[in-house]
Amino acid sequence: MGGYGDVQMIDENGLRMDGRKPGDLRPISIETGVIPVADGSCRMVWGTNEAIVAVYGPMEAHPRKIQRQDRAVIDVAYNMAPFSTTDRIRPGFNRRSREISKVTKDALESVVLLELYPRSKIRVSIEIVSAEAGTRCVGLTAASVALADAGIPMTDMVISVASGKVNDVVVCDLNKEEDNYGEADLPMGILPNTGELVFLQMDGDLSPDEFKQAWDYNVDAAMEVHKLMIDALKGGDN
Amino acid sequence: MSAPTVPNLLRDHLADLAQNDSRLDGREQFGARELKLETGILPRAEGSARVTMGNTIVLAGVKFQLMTPYPDRPNQGGLMCSCEVRPIAGRHWEAGPPSPEAIELGRVVDRGIRESGCIDVDDLCIIPGEKAWQVILDLHAISDDGNLFDAFALAGIAALRSATVPAERFEVGQDSPLKVSKKPIMCSYHKVGGRFVYDASYKEELGGDERIHITLGDDNHVHSLQKGLKGIFTAEEFEEIMEHAKSRCAELRKIVD
Repeated sequence: MGGYGDVQMIDENGLRMDGRKPGDLRPISIETGVIPVADGSCRMVWGTNEAIVAVYGPMEAHPRKIQRQDRAVIDVAYNMAPFSTTDRIRPGFNRRSREISKVTKDALESVVLLELYPRSKIRVSIEIVSAEAGTRCVGLTAASVALADAGIPMTDMVISVASGKVNDVVVCDLNKEEDNYGEADLPMGILPNTGELVFLQMDGDLSPDEFKQAWDYNVDAAMEVHKLMIDALKGGDN
Repeated sequence: MSAPTVPNLLRDHLADLAQNDSRLDGREQFGARELKLETGILPRAEGSARVTMGNTIVLAGVKFQLMTPYPDRPNQGGLMCSCEVRPIAGRHWEAGPPSPEAIELGRVVDRGIRESGCIDVDDLCIIPGEKAWQVILDLHAISDDGNLFDAFALAGIAALRSATVPAERFEVGQDSPLKVSKKPIMCSYHKVGGRFVYDASYKEELGGDERIHITLGDDNHVHSLQKGLKGIFTAEEFEEIMEHAKSRCAELRKIVD
């Protein structure tokens, strides 16, 4: 969080730079079955974020050392395409994408019924082809749609949303400027049917009241996104 | 990419089909899959394209960076073409450093575009010896059902032709379209069941032998050739596919316009 207090991001009417009210989400569209060669796939456009996710498997887990005798493992690869940001990203290993891959895997392994597929592997590939802010949230949410599209049994979907604070106002679903110059960022991964959490990160500075507000924004937003996910899965091509 | 097992059944089946002048999906020897080209689809790239050929889907994005010209070429900018096939594209592609297959892909596409001279590197110079543009073309596979070479080459030239030089963002002048003077087009042929076919699917690549890639520029000038994988071909076979490449490249060049 930059914490540049002099950047004005909320106008006198309480609206944000992109015209949203503090609790509003960016426009979201979801499409399934977008990768013909994959077992399940999803394209999610969220503001100017675009994530494309493929699911392959369950399939034989190799090398053998990654196999678990009593359950499947999920192999998540989150990656930002070189042309997904204003300044080109050099392809290859980077610590940020490794961390996001890991927390996404931890979230998904919490909902997939892994014990149904011992010794196997489910591969989830997340490619961010256009990035605005909150790509980890879009990636995780799209991954759960792609898993559902692949027919992989799960206890629930995962919806990930980030709220934060700009100019001392708590706002839902940070855009690029709000993420860069805001004072806090709270991404959460929420199970819509139970309200439980499988993913949580935070950085910045929030008072207890602000934290409560950001949390509530995320939970409300998750319910809204859940409806779109159900529509996409019911009306999808597959 | 781990070496896939090729069942003899698939090879035999492809040979039988070839005998009857047919293919797995019923196409003719030089028939192409349905092709769709879209440009300007990636909001963060300065130029972009998506090519869909049957079940093969690729993206191309163009980015610009400022560079110091090389001392021996102070009046020239640069063109870089990089290709990634990440695990999203298919179950046979694995994570990790680029495989030899992916590197070959990128280099063959790069040669076709570079050698055609479609980008004038002298024109990319801003201040001789000090500042020049580096044009970076990134090719990204989304779904691999064979013939990534042609899909990448087509997406690449289309993305370059749609690109805008972001001079205002770098504070070196006015934004302007990137000048791309020529349209190099690649056509790839795979030996399947003993004969060369055009625009092979993944299964045909898997059960086939050698492949030949031909990039032709405007006026059918040859700009790059590549023979890949194990196999032997005759001069007559090459002549036949070269004739087809000439007519197919002319068709594709119209689509790029």
